Amino acid sequence: MAAADTPSASTLRRRDLCSRGIRLARKMRSDVADLLDIYVERQGLDASVSVAAVEGVPAAAVEHWSEQTGTQRLLDNLAAYRAFRALLAQMLEEQREQLGDADAALGRALAAVLLQVSAFAYHLEELLELESRRPPGDDGDGPPAPPRLSLFEQKLRGLGVLRELAQWAVRSMRDLRQLARPSPGPSSAPGTAEGQ
Amino acid sequence: MWWSLKELIAPEPVQKQPVVAWGRAGSGGEEGAKLTDLSSEGWPVASTQKDPTDFDEKLGTSPGVWTGGEMANPVPSACCVVLAAVVVVYAQRHSQQDSHIQYERVGADVTMKCGSMDWDAAVTWTANGTDIDDSHLNGSYLILKNVDLTQSGQYSCYEGSSWHLKYQTYLRVGTPPKEPVLMCRSNNYPKGFYCSWHLPSPTYIPNSFNISVIHGTREMVCEKDIFPKNRCHIRYLQLFSTVKYKVTLTVTNALGKNSTSLTFDEFAIVKPDPPESVVAKPVPNNPRRLEVAWQNPSSWPDPESFPLKFFLRYRPLILDQWQHVELSDGTSHTITDAYAGKEYIIQVAAKDNDIGTWSDWSVAVHATPWTEEPKHLTTEAQITETTSTSTSSFVPPPTTKICDKGAVVGSGAVAVCWTAGLVLAAYGVLFI
Repeated sequence: MAAADTPSASTLRRRDLCSRGIRLARKMRSDVADLLDIYVERQGLDASVSVAAVEGVPAAAVEHWSEQTGTQRLLDNLAAYRAFRALLAQMLEEQREQLGDADAALGRALAAVLLQVSAFAYHLEELLELESRRPPGDDGDGPPAPPRLSLFEQKLRGLGVLRELAQWAVRSMRDLRQLARPSPGPSSAPGTAEGQ
Repeated sequence: MWWSLKELIAPEPVQKQPVVAWGRAGSGGEEGAKLTDLSSEGWPVASTQKDPTDFDEKLGTSPGVWTGGEMANPVPSACCVVLAAVVVVYAQRHSQQDSHIQYERVGADVTMKCGSMDWDAAVTWTANGTDIDDSHLNGSYLILKNVDLTQSGQYSCYEGSSWHLKYQTYLRVGTPPKEPVLMCRSNNYPKGFYCSWHLPSPTYIPNSFNISVIHGTREMVCEKDIFPKNRCHIRYLQLFSTVKYKVTLTVTNALGKNSTSLTFDEFAIVKPDPPESVVAKPVPNNPRRLEVAWQNPSSWPDPESFPLKFFLRYRPLILDQWQHVELSDGTSHTITDAYAGKEYIIQVAAKDNDIGTWSDWSVAVHATPWTEEPKHLTTEAQITETTSTSTSSFVPPPTTKICDKGAVVGSGAVAVCWTAGLVLAAYGVLFI
């Protein structure tokens, strides 16, 4: 009985990774919120402007979230953060082209968030390996190159990217919390909540 | 003696003409078979009676067809005429009352026509059964100027001397709706959210409310609660969406309509209910501690997946300043800096760990830290009281406490001590 109550090394490792992942995601969310404020101000945008869904930007919105398996959560998260890594790199490049060194603050903030996104993606790969799943290959090319956008369209797209990233940070915290809960098996859906 | 109903309602001798039986099966009144008190000939009867066939046989008509025969007893016949008349009038009034309601705005001028009566017809108007003075009439029209709420009621118009009811309406004076107040909140995230509404001021007439919820291009169903009536709830179909929700409420009544809208994102409206079952207890042998415990609000569906954090505030009743503590996990906390012996008031609030706003404060609880049992006073009480018989000098009695700055707290206490000392000294001088 005592042995059955003692969590396995794998379980402990998973909980540890999930806890660290939640802390990473929380920090990332806080920094993305600050970056959004800087971005809106520097780009001369209205913070309340609605941005339509943009191709290539992974949407955090999901139906039947509570019914997802742990593996599915990790795969969805990993795909999203790999995409964000490429999108943020692109935004950084565009920002340097447009403003050069004139706006170092925005550039630094973008770079800091990009670093956190990369770190989080790596963290998710570790978790997937713990789930006995080999992370899908990362071709490193990111999403296909978008059509040439006007400067204003680039700015709006950037706003959409940061907003979705902020949502993903919250979703990731929830996903990792679900993953950390005791479950019958590594690929089952732990604790479905009614209606979601 | 009993009579059948048909006998009772036939006050005069009837000509020898066949009359279709009322309620008789097979005689055009199929529903007669459903009556429970049918006689053998199909007539509803109050009790035992003469068989109607006796009359039929006498007059030679077919069974079940009643011809009336000789004159009925006039007294019960008159009663039933009156009863029937009352029933007809009541039905007429009741049906008219239900069918005609007139809504008018406060301050409006109202003109009522007496049905199809000509303008110069002689009529009498009543309001709630009370005759209306002719000064309010223009011919047969009733004119009500600048109506107010007290003028709501039933208005009836009767023809001149016959007192036939010619028109009746129920006037309801009210106002069109002002812009409603709408609120949406999620206290059961991630299940869904609810919206509730009210009017800032009453309209005094019935209102209907229609609510629409749009999420992107999708219209969502807002299921109305049975109680309270001014609330409906929506189930989330998606989570973590950046697309905002737009809720529009339209209120309509007979005098107008108004609407309001709210636009918000999923996270912004998340606000849990306050924590429940807050308990505060002293800690034995610890005069500065209080143990506080509480429970998650029961409306929060999944605290394991969506944990709450808590904010605790406390102060002694004698002070206005609150102390605050934020707690990221757990549903208990030990206060370690309470003032000894002072009663405290304590409250707790809750918030989702990551999104939304703080709940309202919980119900307040009171507690006082543990205090040591007071010891009996021994030293001063056991000193034998000595009194001085000599008048050569004044010696204050041993029970008198000599004022000592180090022994008292507060300048007020010092002043009282010295005053008492002076009084005693003066007393002593008088007896020297």
